[in-house]
Amino acid sequence: MIQATNLTKKYGDVTVLNIKNLHIKKGQSIGLVGNNGAGKTTFFNLLLDLIEPTTGEILNNNIKVDKSEDWKPFTSAFIDESFLIGYLTPEEYFYFIGELRGKSKTDIDDFLTQFTEIFNDEILNKKKYLRDLSKGNQKKAGIIAALIGEPELIILDEPFANLDPTTQIRLKKMLTSLTKNKNVTVLISSHDLGHVTEVCERIIVLDKGNLIKDLQTSPETLKELEAHFTV
Amino acid sequence: MFKKFISLEWKQFKRSANFNKGLAIKIFMGIGVFFLLMYAIGAGVFLYFGLEEFFPETKPWTLVNNFILFWFLLELTFRYLIQKMPVIHIKPLLILPIKRKSVVHYGLSKSLISIFNFIPLFILLPFSVVLMIKGQSPTNVIAWFVGVYCISLSLNFVTLLINKSDAIFYSIIGVLVCLIGLEYFEILKISTFAGKAFNFLSQNTYVSLLPIITLIASYYFGFKFMYKNLNLDNLDTKIKNVNTTDLSWLNRFGDVAPFLKNDLKLIWRNVRPKKTVLSAGIFLFYALYFILVKQSGGNLPVLMAFAMMFVTGGFAMTFGQFVPSWDSEYYQLLMSQNIRYKTYLDAKWYLMGFAVIVSFILATPYIYFGWRIYSLLIAGAFFNLGINSYLVLFGGVLNRMPLKLNEKAKAFGNTQGFKMSNMLIALPKIFLPMLLFGVPYAIWGFNSGIITIIAFGIVGILLKNYILKKIENTYQKTKYKMIAAYNQKN
Repeated sequence: MIQATNLTKKYGDVTVLNIKNLHIKKGQSIGLVGNNGAGKTTFFNLLLDLIEPTTGEILNNNIKVDKSEDWKPFTSAFIDESFLIGYLTPEEYFYFIGELRGKSKTDIDDFLTQFTEIFNDEILNKKKYLRDLSKGNQKKAGIIAALIGEPELIILDEPFANLDPTTQIRLKKMLTSLTKNKNVTVLISSHDLGHVTEVCERIIVLDKGNLIKDLQTSPETLKELEAHFTV
Repeated sequence: MFKKFISLEWKQFKRSANFNKGLAIKIFMGIGVFFLLMYAIGAGVFLYFGLEEFFPETKPWTLVNNFILFWFLLELTFRYLIQKMPVIHIKPLLILPIKRKSVVHYGLSKSLISIFNFIPLFILLPFSVVLMIKGQSPTNVIAWFVGVYCISLSLNFVTLLINKSDAIFYSIIGVLVCLIGLEYFEILKISTFAGKAFNFLSQNTYVSLLPIITLIASYYFGFKFMYKNLNLDNLDTKIKNVNTTDLSWLNRFGDVAPFLKNDLKLIWRNVRPKKTVLSAGIFLFYALYFILVKQSGGNLPVLMAFAMMFVTGGFAMTFGQFVPSWDSEYYQLLMSQNIRYKTYLDAKWYLMGFAVIVSFILATPYIYFGWRIYSLLIAGAFFNLGINSYLVLFGGVLNRMPLKLNEKAKAFGNTQGFKMSNMLIALPKIFLPMLLFGVPYAIWGFNSGIITIIAFGIVGILLKNYILKKIENTYQKTKYKMIAAYNQKN
């Protein structure tokens, strides 16, 4: 699904990301972990062609992301609040994304019923604009919107941050079922080692822009990661 | 305490992200403000002699008194549309041992430092001096000056109070239009009543106490209003119930429909675009000025062509110049969602097209001034559809300024969204219609000028796909720069 080759990103003299070779197979769920400044968000931004790579390239389903727009129909992401349109209500936002992905209003209404639990009566039919929702509820709306239209690649930056414990658990369940049932590649980053090891089958550790560990998740992975991050 | 606040402001100004970059612009704007104030002084002096010249039968002072009410209503309208209310970053101040009262007093005093309070001062002061030189009693003139200026300053605080409420604003506009109508058709000469009151003020010194009391009262209410709202509940956002309108009739426009729906919501639900569009409405009346001047003296059809272009181009000028900055808050979403750049630009083109057609319909009354004027209006509409719209979209590439949607723009002193390149891209918008009309007009006469503009407009509309493709290429090239610029929060 994803192939990054000789990928670097420099700001001035500072190299913020340097990945020689990374291959992600279709249907895998990948967890990206690393301390602040490790290059997680930079990698996501490069993958979404929001910043320009200094060298190298990323292929998304064999499409060079910075050369063609053809990866957009099957890719979706929620990085931060700049992916929300503040003056829309959550429903309008979902319909908008739906329209962009060829889903009718009724499609979206059907689609949203499965998230009643997660929404917890705080998002739909509240007559509020997205900008007036709490950070946590904004995040929920953004994550759900990223699932609209059966994308094959879903990118979520720190999906667990700002969420209440109940929602974190529900989100974990949702992400696991997503990768099990369908042919979906999920890419998430997180500071919570417990969560990523539960959800993802493969963990990639970045440090100062370098890929330093690439693990298949096993019962020992969490311990290994904790040991790695204990200084 | 005030001194500390001021030093905080100074640091905020000096350490802002675009301080250095903005310095040249600030100097440039400073010169602009200087000229504006010079004009104001000139206007104040000219006011007396001009009125004396054109209306020798009435005393200038009386004339000013008769019409000053209209000035106040107009001033209030402009203040509402453009004047930015003071923003103090009070969140960190709220939990510090600072008296709330002093924060509010500071905010209110800060609002006084605004060009809107200086322009009336710089007009009134020279006018009053001329009055005194011309032999009016100094005490009367001073009392009148104090009275009138106090009313103007009260409007400053009134603006603060009505700022949140559109209903009040629309009623003021309504009153203004009614008064002008009544005056014009001589049904009720409001100027006589108002004139009587202000003439009374100019003859009786003690009456100026009334405006002074008004000023104090408006300050008091402004204070109460801000004091009441000075807590976090009211600070962040007034959560209003949303009004969802069914816009599905737009679906017939296919691919661009979702964007059109969004843009209408953007305009309706955010402070800044809303005010921008409201002020675009003023352009509808722009050509009136030229027509009225023409009736009192000679005028060039070339200038008329320029003016009529503005009538239908107001929206493209005011709103359009910030495309795509209006979407800067969520530009990353648009860039990674399933959207073709082309479709996005297409949608913006349609939006401007709508605006041209709507303003064209609203401008129908211009037919009253005859066919020549109306044909210029038609030509202007074609120019805006077929040429100006592309210039505006192309200008968007150069204007990479993040905009905060729900914040009012400041007139002067705010560089958000202002760039030299804006000025440069504005030049062809202004001179092209004059050129396209002027050259054939000079050679073959009026009709050929009209036909030339319309022909160019039609060619522009027909070449839409080709031109948008070219514009899209420039957008693609600057994509990363745009995203990076929009990510910078001031």
